[in-house]
Amino acid sequence: MNRPLRIFLTGVGGQGSLTATTLLARTVMDQGLEVVSGEIHGMAQRGGVVESTVLLGGFHSPTIGHGEADIILGFEALESLRALPYLAPNSFVFSSSEFISPPGVSMGRDKSPDLATIKDIVGKSAQGSCFLPINALARQAGAVQSANSVLLGALGASGLLPFGPGAMRAAVEKYLPPQSIKANLRALELGEAAVAGQNC
Amino acid sequence: MNSPLLAAEGTRHLLLGNEAVVRGALEAGLNFASCYPGTPSSEIPDNFRLLAPGGRFVFEYSTNEKVAMECAAGAALSGAMSLVTMKHVGLNVAADPLLTMTYTGLPGGLLIVSADDPGCHSSQNEQDNRIYARFAGLPCFEPANAQECKDMTREALLLSRASQQPVMLRTTTRIAHLRGPVLFGPLPDNPAPLVPFVRSPGRFVPIPAVARARHKVLAANIEEIRAGVEISPFNKTRGAGKNGIIVSGVSRAYLHDALLDNEKGLKIFELGMSWPLPEKALADFMRDLKVLLVLEEGEPLLERDLSALAHKLSLSVEIRGKEGPLGIFGEYSTRSIAQAAAALPGRQKQAEQNAPNKNLTALTDTDLASLPGRPPNLCPGCAHRSAFYAVRKVFGDEAYYSSDIGCYTLGILPPLKTADFLFCMGSSISAGSGFARFGKTVVAFIGDSTFFHSGMTGLVNAVFNRHNILVVILDNGTTAMTGHQPNPGMNQEVLGSGCVHVDIETVVKGCGVGRVAKVRGFNQKALTARLTEMKEETGVRVLIVEEPCVLYARRVLKKGREMRSSVARQDESVRKCFETLACPAFFRNETGMGINPDLCAGCMVCMQISPSFAAVKGEKP
Repeated sequence: MNRPLRIFLTGVGGQGSLTATTLLARTVMDQGLEVVSGEIHGMAQRGGVVESTVLLGGFHSPTIGHGEADIILGFEALESLRALPYLAPNSFVFSSSEFISPPGVSMGRDKSPDLATIKDIVGKSAQGSCFLPINALARQAGAVQSANSVLLGALGASGLLPFGPGAMRAAVEKYLPPQSIKANLRALELGEAAVAGQNC
Repeated sequence: MNSPLLAAEGTRHLLLGNEAVVRGALEAGLNFASCYPGTPSSEIPDNFRLLAPGGRFVFEYSTNEKVAMECAAGAALSGAMSLVTMKHVGLNVAADPLLTMTYTGLPGGLLIVSADDPGCHSSQNEQDNRIYARFAGLPCFEPANAQECKDMTREALLLSRASQQPVMLRTTTRIAHLRGPVLFGPLPDNPAPLVPFVRSPGRFVPIPAVARARHKVLAANIEEIRAGVEISPFNKTRGAGKNGIIVSGVSRAYLHDALLDNEKGLKIFELGMSWPLPEKALADFMRDLKVLLVLEEGEPLLERDLSALAHKLSLSVEIRGKEGPLGIFGEYSTRSIAQAAAALPGRQKQAEQNAPNKNLTALTDTDLASLPGRPPNLCPGCAHRSAFYAVRKVFGDEAYYSSDIGCYTLGILPPLKTADFLFCMGSSISAGSGFARFGKTVVAFIGDSTFFHSGMTGLVNAVFNRHNILVVILDNGTTAMTGHQPNPGMNQEVLGSGCVHVDIETVVKGCGVGRVAKVRGFNQKALTARLTEMKEETGVRVLIVEEPCVLYARRVLKKGREMRSSVARQDESVRKCFETLACPAFFRNETGMGINPDLCAGCMVCMQISPSFAAVKGEKP
């Protein structure tokens, strides 16, 4: 269970994926495991792609190259697809099944692959995958801002991490602002339940 | 103040490299810090700003890097343990004072934090500032993880205080923006004591006779520091064999991950304190090697120095550096370093297994390239978009657009296309002036913070030399690109009692500009009218476009939207507005054109362009 893991996270500026990244990294540290995490700021904040990493189990570098990610967490469906070259052999994808249209798609110039196509390509590329409507579930949890926690909950319940879902719940309670803890705990549960019921 | 950066000795925290630098400075007993913000350095001063009210140290956002450097050096002359931060290109701005303060020395101590950006994640070049360590005579530390960001900052400040020489901490984007666990050392009860200033013009006023003598003092001080570097705990060797690797900076982390304990037959020298070079230790390390691999991102500085050293000592070691997968461009990676290490004699051929496996994904390169892109864009409700729209409407392709550094560089994107050339902070006015000398119409764009940074001197020059240029100052009331840091143009209420607002219009008039107008950024009619007038005029004309950054207005000024826009009629005028204004809130689907109610910021610029939009009551987005 204690094998080193490289987790690649991707999303769109404004989704809060860096907050989720830091929360995950703190969870790992609080479990007494070695962790390093990385993120690229700057121009990406203006509606661009935001990529970040969490590496556990003894890596020193905060980066993940193509073919090196054991797990991809995609907070937006199209970005999960774009991140596939980072996948290592026998790896897993946890993804939002919802889209945030890039400008070209919004304006009708470009066409985005649909969810069925994305699921098909991911299915052929990864050993396992889990797609969840994270924004819809977050609304159900009581706050759309808790969408990323749905995916973290799914990851936590997957058995791929060297600790159980309780660690993620403890981190939410310890590190998130008091007013958002309830919705995020509920969001974690919805993600966990989806994995438990193989409902993704 | 309940910041984790003030937590007790012995506690462990997950910190950003930049946050760890701040903790290290506090542990050393910092008295003074200054900066000009810039990615990837900005979180250092952001955290100093949060902690400064605690009274442990004095902090300021200076107007540019040269000013920040001089303020910090002045504070250090006055006896304060000082620190100044900037991004790599900022050190070019600050180079003038830097290259002389290493001669005079600074009794209180000064640490210069330079955040380099190999790969140009958010910069206009990927210059390697280790060159400044050699150029100016700066002892240089290069952390490779968050713990070292803290530990080296502390050590560097203490070295600077002890030696009275300015010292550099050089990070890169990956180090500045990694997060890792940091074990805290003790915080001193009080900041460092001030070192009394003793008047000695023969040291501190570098007239030629003084400068000649002080140059020798600098050289002697560097030799004394070199003796310390020879035994520095930040330089570590391990292993044995005929293959050697000398590695510095983030490459140390890549090397570790590339080898993952498979270090048999390798001798490794990790250079954490990389200038001046510990020549004795390096010579001992190299003496029995057959092959030496030098790992350093950027320029082949160590490679050249080590080649010279090997030559001097008549060592027959073969030195490999910038070759194969390792070049001067961009960043190194775990993979590229694994490939270089695998190519060492006797190492297993790992190169193939370390190559990216193209068959891992059912996605081809063509599939990837055809996915819709997500380029960075000006935000919905950004007044820059409104200003660019008006300028393009009035000037079209008749004018050449001299751009500058800030969010508004994104004006480069179609359909706005309002960036034709750019060098660096503040270049818009002066480069635009020179460009216009040869019969071309020029419109220069510059933001408020950049104007104070180094636009003002160009403006005085434009007036002085009778240049022919229209300068559009995009005043959004904050330093938006780097995360809303204060600048002199920010309103007094936000600045608080510690800073004084400086009015841009008064400055512009004070620079001698006779033709100045000010408009609100969302007022298309006024923008178009002033631009049309100014287009017919000659000489230096300045149009100040005032409108708070939409993110800043929402987060800091707590201003929400009152109304939002929607498409009332699907007609040609809406279609044209969609194509020429291109707000990210616009969308088009089977049912026609629309405005995303979640994204619309309520600037209502589109309503001024086409009568077929309608205002809707806009609850907070």
